[in-house]
Amino acid sequence: MLRLRNVSRHIGGIRAVDDVSLDIPPGRITGLIGPNGAGKTTIVNLITGMMPLTAGSIHLGGTDITRAPAHRICRAGLARTFQNMRLMADETVIDNVMIGFHRHDRCALPAALLNLPSARRMTATLRRRAAAMIAEFGMERFAGFPAGGLSYGHQRRVEIMRALASDPAFLLLDEPIAGMNDVEADALAAIFRRLAAEGRGILLIEHDMRFVASLCDHVHVLDGGRLIAGGRPAEVLRDPAVIAAYLGG
Amino acid sequence: MGQWIIAYTPLVDLFLLHLGFAYAQYIVLRAGVFSLATAGLAGIGAYTAGVLAVKLGAHPALGVAAATLAGSGAALVLSLPLARLRGVYQAIATVAFVQIVYSVNLWAEPVTGGAMGLNNIPRTAGTGVLAVAALGTLYLVWAMERTRLGRAFNAIRQDEAMAATLGVDIVRHQALAFALSGAIAGLFGALEAYHAYALDPGQFAFPFLIAILSYVILGGRNSVAGPLIGTAILIILPELARPLAENRMLIYGVMLILVINFLPRGIADSLILAWRARRLARPEPAAGEP
Ligand SMILES: Nc1ncnc2c1ncn2[C@@H]1O[C@H](COP(=O)(O)OP(=O)(O)OP(=O)(O)O)[C@@H](O)[C@H]1O
Ligand SMILES: [Mg+2]
Repeated sequence: MLRLRNVSRHIGGIRAVDDVSLDIPPGRITGLIGPNGAGKTTIVNLITGMMPLTAGSIHLGGTDITRAPAHRICRAGLARTFQNMRLMADETVIDNVMIGFHRHDRCALPAALLNLPSARRMTATLRRRAAAMIAEFGMERFAGFPAGGLSYGHQRRVEIMRALASDPAFLLLDEPIAGMNDVEADALAAIFRRLAAEGRGILLIEHDMRFVASLCDHVHVLDGGRLIAGGRPAEVLRDPAVIAAYLGG
Repeated sequence: MGQWIIAYTPLVDLFLLHLGFAYAQYIVLRAGVFSLATAGLAGIGAYTAGVLAVKLGAHPALGVAAATLAGSGAALVLSLPLARLRGVYQAIATVAFVQIVYSVNLWAEPVTGGAMGLNNIPRTAGTGVLAVAALGTLYLVWAMERTRLGRAFNAIRQDEAMAATLGVDIVRHQALAFALSGAIAGLFGALEAYHAYALDPGQFAFPFLIAILSYVILGGRNSVAGPLIGTAILIILPELARPLAENRMLIYGVMLILVINFLPRGIADSLILAWRARRLARPEPAAGEP
């Protein structure tokens, strides 16, 4: 369980996130929705250690990760994608995915410095695993292409592969289908379902309500940094407070 | 043939020495640290070896080992405050470091010879030794690039926050890059000492910093071939004509400004990218493919 308790983040005078408590259970896809500027991305930044909390606590299983540095949080089993994609634009798709394996990229320091056989075996293994993942996402043809030249939809998939490469227990997806067509989105939905079935907990941030409703059995609604509703998608979307928030009320 | 070799040996030696310094600079830039400390670290290595040789009559192998350790030790210590700084602030802090090394060398006259420099260092490093050291360094840089270290350095340089969320320990990797850079700078500083008979503090001051930086910026910061190309061009160019040689630093300065403006990636990286772009014109998605 990924557990947020009374989490706040004030930026200047703005309460970007204000007293948010929510649970992200393993094996399920939890939705997080809300109008632009609601604080969804800020919550992901707080969980992943990219930004310090103003108040509150975050626990991953039994571990307190409230003030842990970002690389430790990754090693504790958490991965994310970025809404404003952050790929290495000049590097190939396979190299972008390979850096995602960093957590498992192990060999002794002398072997790494001199590229001794154990280091070479490691590189070959990771390259194979990255290639397999790229094939699974239907992108074999693009493996050797610079990521910056790909379409939005393809770049989003590279982001997801890179996050998955660390084999996270919890995956935070910040608008993973933005810029994709329905066929691409459906393919990803199938992958997300499978990841949840494997026991991973997923936090899904999306503006596409149909997509959220089809994947999540629990949705949280954020507005102005505060949680204003939570429950089954169908109920939440009928909630007058939620409708008012989306209409800019 | 024999005459040719004798005529060009000093140039080859200079090239091999400066190739080492160029790679010391390259390693930190590649790991995303904007450090200009290489000249100072080389100075520490050179004086460590020189003082050991002149004052204590130490064996050159001991001098080289001590200089390498001193260089990497100083770099590790320097990496601690630098880890809190970024970009241009790292550059300013490391320029100050180079100045401190220079000042200490002037001030510690009884040990370093002060402004008079250190003389009568036995000349034990010939072309062969320099070539072995340069090739070893080249191999190290090339090999490291292909392992977890190269992958992590790459990610840190391009997007530090992204690298951190992928589990890369930024401070540790940058400290390692720093220590390696310091070891290489210290080693080649020692070789400089054992090659040149004499050292003076001005050798490792601001003009040297500019020269080292020019090699890497001109050649390219992100591929192993970069420093090789940059150093070769900038060492050979002034030798083509006497007026060029007399204005070496002027040429380096002008070159630096031109390259930053018109070829910011440097020669090697620009060539590699152009070549890759030609080979991989963007693929046409097949019909029906999203
Ligand atoms: N680094 C920052 N500096 C200043 N303000 C920020 C920063 N990050 C976020 N904010 C502010 O915090 C609030 C929440 O922003 P956030 O990006 O989390 O919203 P969001 O729900 O992800 O919106 P969107 O749907 O547009 O992605 C906004 O008012 C935003 O302007
Ligand atoms: Mg957002």
